[in-house]
Amino acid sequence: MKSAKPVKLAAAVLGLAALAIFPIASGNPYYIHLVETIMIYAILLFGLDIVVGYTGQVSLGHAGLFGVGAYTAGVLFIKLGMPFYVTAPLSILVTAGFGAILALPALRVSGPYLAMVTLAFGTIIQILINEMDFLTNGPMGLKIPKPIFAGHSMSEDGFYWLVAVLLVISMIVVHRILKSHLGRAFEALRDSPIASDCMGVSVYRYKVYAFVISAGFAGLAGCLYSYSEQYISPNTYNFELTILFLLAIIMGGRKTRTGAILGSTIIVLLPKLLDDIAMFRSVATVLAVVVAVGAVVALVRKVTTLQKVLIPVAGTAGLAIFSFWINALTDWRLTIFGLMILLVVYYLQDGVVGFVRKIVLHGRHRPVTIKTDELSGEGHDAVIAIRSQGTENIIDLRGILMQFSGLKALNNVNLSVRRGSIHGLIGPNGSGKSTMMNVLTGIYVPTAGSIDYDGESIAGKTSSKIALSGIARTFQNVQLFGEMTALENVLVGLHHTFKANLADVGLMTPRYRREEHAARERAFSMLRFVGLEAVASEEARNLPYGKQRLLEIARALALDPQLLLLDEPAAGLTAPDIKELVAIIRKVRAHGITLILIEHHMDVVMSVCDTVSVLDFGQKIAEGRPADIQADERVIEAYLGGQAATHA
Amino acid sequence: MMLSIKNLHAGYGKVKVLHGISMDVPKASVVTLIGSNGAGKTTTMRAISGMIRPTSGEITMGEGAQSKRIDAMDSHKIARLGLAHSPEGRRVFATMSVTDNLILGAFPRLTWARPRGDVNADLERAIDLFPRLKERRHQLAGTLSGGEQQMLAMARAIMLNPDLVLLDEPSMGLAPILVEEVFRIIARLKDEGVTMLLVEQFAAAALNVADYGYVLENGHVAAHGPAGQLKNDPSVKAAYLGAS
Repeated sequence: MKSAKPVKLAAAVLGLAALAIFPIASGNPYYIHLVETIMIYAILLFGLDIVVGYTGQVSLGHAGLFGVGAYTAGVLFIKLGMPFYVTAPLSILVTAGFGAILALPALRVSGPYLAMVTLAFGTIIQILINEMDFLTNGPMGLKIPKPIFAGHSMSEDGFYWLVAVLLVISMIVVHRILKSHLGRAFEALRDSPIASDCMGVSVYRYKVYAFVISAGFAGLAGCLYSYSEQYISPNTYNFELTILFLLAIIMGGRKTRTGAILGSTIIVLLPKLLDDIAMFRSVATVLAVVVAVGAVVALVRKVTTLQKVLIPVAGTAGLAIFSFWINALTDWRLTIFGLMILLVVYYLQDGVVGFVRKIVLHGRHRPVTIKTDELSGEGHDAVIAIRSQGTENIIDLRGILMQFSGLKALNNVNLSVRRGSIHGLIGPNGSGKSTMMNVLTGIYVPTAGSIDYDGESIAGKTSSKIALSGIARTFQNVQLFGEMTALENVLVGLHHTFKANLADVGLMTPRYRREEHAARERAFSMLRFVGLEAVASEEARNLPYGKQRLLEIARALALDPQLLLLDEPAAGLTAPDIKELVAIIRKVRAHGITLILIEHHMDVVMSVCDTVSVLDFGQKIAEGRPADIQADERVIEAYLGGQAATHA
Repeated sequence: MMLSIKNLHAGYGKVKVLHGISMDVPKASVVTLIGSNGAGKTTTMRAISGMIRPTSGEITMGEGAQSKRIDAMDSHKIARLGLAHSPEGRRVFATMSVTDNLILGAFPRLTWARPRGDVNADLERAIDLFPRLKERRHQLAGTLSGGEQQMLAMARAIMLNPDLVLLDEPSMGLAPILVEEVFRIIARLKDEGVTMLLVEQFAAAALNVADYGYVLENGHVAAHGPAGQLKNDPSVKAAYLGAS
């Protein structure tokens, strides 16, 4: 991808130049205003994409937040006569505050419930603006002149440039946030909330962060909108606008800044386009030709089948023919708009940007974002050695009872793990081993019993707190962050090493750069520790199963744990891979880290464990040295059997 | 041949996994795929059952005049031809009961896309294979332990009354005592004339139950032959069967 950089840079410079000279070149105030609106919407969409694209949540409240931003600027100007450089930052802050008010209760729920709560929020905002006459002048709206600098009201062109500059700054800031540890936290909680919490990244807290940041951008956009329109009234910020914003994200393409700009262009221009029949005819024709050509290309490259392209080709061709058949648009506007949206949402689920990438860059659809050759990972000890002092037992469980309605998954279990040892946990399927892991990591709160870790009770603490206190784990059913690369997965585990805050990230302060660089070096050396350095920039979901399991171990080690829980690390591995795994487990122990190992491969259990506990029906039926356990009558009957099949 | 693969290429996006593999699965036989992690075993199975679309190559199912190309077919249509897939990672229907999961395994029969037979009798039979599932038949599949879900995935595949079953790591996550049980079940199904393609972490045990084996290395077929012969091949022994 070395050639991509200059091309991208050239495109960016060209785009900026075009943006800058547009007002002079066009000279038409109507078009200047249109582009201004597109830019303002794009700023909001950058923020909305953080919530929708990155954290995977739905917000139907962003039109409301947009309104809060607009009215904050309007009211501050009308009532207090504040200048732009005060109203803009305040709009951002106030809207971010409203975002927090919405997010704190709303993000306890998800899916359709979250959609309903945010929808209600948007509606309430609109009603409040309407009813609070004394502040907002109610349905009559507010009139605001262009910002005044040094006694002069800004010209239309001047304001355009101001918006353009703020657009570019917003884009850079959003981009930096999303490339930072914050952005990784957002993506991680979308791909696997449970693993995020167990990596010390509190899902709830980072969802709220994402929402608040997103609201801040909505506030800035709202503020600019009020100066751009010079008149604001409550009915602008309605449900339809919210839906348009979401559509823009979907149509443009999630998780890209270009997509947000494109989406905003579509939602601003499409309605205008449908005003003029001649324009509509030419665009419909071009669209039909593009789709037809695209379909032929896709067919030749064998990325699709005739069946699948038939409907979009026929649909766009039909639209083109239809455009010549009708005489006037007025009666058909909404229908056509709806049909076009339907077509796009149905066929371009990755948005226009995603679709273009897929076609143009077929086979290499995601540019490699990590320059691994710059990372050596040397000179960094991947795994930090642990002091082996403190209580003799690193963890003590007393009388643990875990009850799910009628079922006692764990029934009065005592378990003590000696510091620095490898403690095996075996037992028949469904005997409560994984439940035990979930109790230890705070995913389940035990019905009764006490858990003392390092001399302190951790029962009832949240998963992320427990993780940060030094208990890391892997998962029986692999819980990687699928859309992130192997390196990024480990970087999420290293989240706790970052002290940098939002301002550091936005301004790229030396502190943040230093932390990011150190984290990348360490993440790479961790991949090397488990032998995965060659696949550092591969998406986790594309790795074979055994490598995914090793990646989980690397990610867990990134927490600098004192206690590492491995849930069936050898499942699905063949003999040679198991040898590697055993070597890694021994290396981890050599660093002073205590391990609890759930495993069905008895050769692994026998060769590495110091002590083995056996669970059956939620109760501990045996405990002792591996050799004794292997000879225990009850264990053989309940669990081991004759071992004939595995020792062929 | 129940299944015939010619020069199959497949992968995920930019990652190419299979570089032209060819293999045959004769009717009423058990064929096993052996290889280390990332060699392409699971990818082969996914390509056969239509979970991923091959980039090139031919996959044919059935014999003689009834044979059908399935490499461009959707998964649900392939299932109607009598192919069941017990996938890696279980993929049980988490919010449905164990019984409902099993009945869904017979879905093409319920819609008469396949001969119906006696679904209820087969349900009892599938549950009898794994007594543990019997105890939990009314429980939601998502609340089962990992190993129990693995049993359910295998039982669900059998519910199709399939002509060909793909078993991807059927013993993964199972207690040793159940691993034996799984191999006993595979042997029993073989006696009943079910054709199987098997990927197993216990490669030695797989070769014991199989008739024929293919060794995959980096997406190529590195060796193949009758199971008994592969089992005693020194290089296969050293690379895949371990010391025991």
